[in-house]
Amino acid sequence: MKRSLRLLAAVAVLFVASRYSSAQSSPAVEFNGANSSPRAVEDLTSQSVPRDYAFAWQNMTQALDENRPELLDAYFTGFAKSSLEQRIKEQAQAGLHVRYTDHGHKLNVLFYSPNGDLMQIEDDAQLEMQILDGSKVIQSQPLRVRYMVLMTPGADRWMVRDLESTPASRSGE
Amino acid sequence: MRTVITWLLCSLVTAMPAAAAELHAPKDIAAGTDFSITLDGSSQGTFYLIGPATAKKHAVENASEISVPGTDIEKAGNYQAILCSSECVSTDFYVHAAEPDRLSLLVHPSRVPVATTNAISAVAIALDRFHNMVFSRADVNFSVNSNNGSSASHAQPTNRGIAWIRLTSAAKASSTKISASVGETTETRVVEQVASEACHLHIKSSWQANRLVVETDPVRDCSGNNVPDGTVVSFTKTDASGKTTVDAPIKKGIAKAEMPVVGHARISVASGVVLGNELNVGGAR
Repeated sequence: MKRSLRLLAAVAVLFVASRYSSAQSSPAVEFNGANSSPRAVEDLTSQSVPRDYAFAWQNMTQALDENRPELLDAYFTGFAKSSLEQRIKEQAQAGLHVRYTDHGHKLNVLFYSPNGDLMQIEDDAQLEMQILDGSKVIQSQPLRVRYMVLMTPGADRWMVRDLESTPASRSGE
Repeated sequence: MRTVITWLLCSLVTAMPAAAAELHAPKDIAAGTDFSITLDGSSQGTFYLIGPATAKKHAVENASEISVPGTDIEKAGNYQAILCSSECVSTDFYVHAAEPDRLSLLVHPSRVPVATTNAISAVAIALDRFHNMVFSRADVNFSVNSNNGSSASHAQPTNRGIAWIRLTSAAKASSTKISASVGETTETRVVEQVASEACHLHIKSSWQANRLVVETDPVRDCSGNNVPDGTVVSFTKTDASGKTTVDAPIKKGIAKAEMPVVGHARISVASGVVLGNELNVGGAR
């Protein structure tokens, strides 16, 4: 009996640890600032933007899976935040949630404003998306999506201000 | 034997799930537009619509098409429509931004020294009425209107939703309105063009009650604009007692300092990186 309890406890710990570790892991992000115009991307910025974008996706996937809009506060602002909040609100009302498995992002800087207060980035994202109604999976598919992203600097991090998928960018792979 | 085969066929047919109707959506729809998703034949079940700012779910009863109101697709991006009965079928469609209707305008800095090349930048983001970025080309008209009546304008097409320009500040200090317009929409920001660094900094001295009073001529920049009051001017005295610096703010266009002098002294003046003339003065009178 004791042995079974120990085994059960070990399994529970492993389950919680795996959940915790998956919730904590941020996706792989490749960053290319070579095409930036009119301003060149500074060394420090080329490190902080992919780091903060990865954190943004990590928070967003968790927020959409658990229907927790407060998780967006740290890395989203403006229209990106309000749109996602609206979606999460509707997901919660309908009893839906969406689970993303994030296989990574390739970022290409297209525009960096002369004063360094706005960056437009194209993101080539590899994802798997599951739409769940309660615990029932109603749709599951691998996706390759191109996003157009606007990021702006905040006090100590870059924030996602707009996140829009582009036309004909979505395909199962 | 024939009876057995018939029974087997009947069993197979009844065991197969009802074939789910296929969904057909227009592949390209403008944000905020009502549209319909058609079904092959009529079907029933639960309909889901998932998009960037949307997650809808409702029942469908013997319908051959599902109407989607424009309010459900105000955010541009990829959407997924799903119909589930015994099994689920789905279709993807893309919602693009509507016509450009708004601008987000970023102008920096809000205060700028006069006559500085490419000192002001204006970045305009074209948006539709639902705040989607409009990726298709739109012409943004930038205009600059100074207080002194001069104005200029320049049309710049957007590239992936963004148009931007750089401007050189005017020679005369004034406030300037920088506007960007697309269609009927105009956004305006104000930039204060202030005097630049002091130019031809010049001091003179006089004695008042045994103390040396040093003051500048009216401090102006190289374009003749008065350098703002509060700008610090540094007076440095070197005499037998050593070197002493007095910082004095400009008041009513002039900076002034009083200094005790022992024997012969040399007085210099500076403001920012600009150096002025030097004075050589004798001991206290």
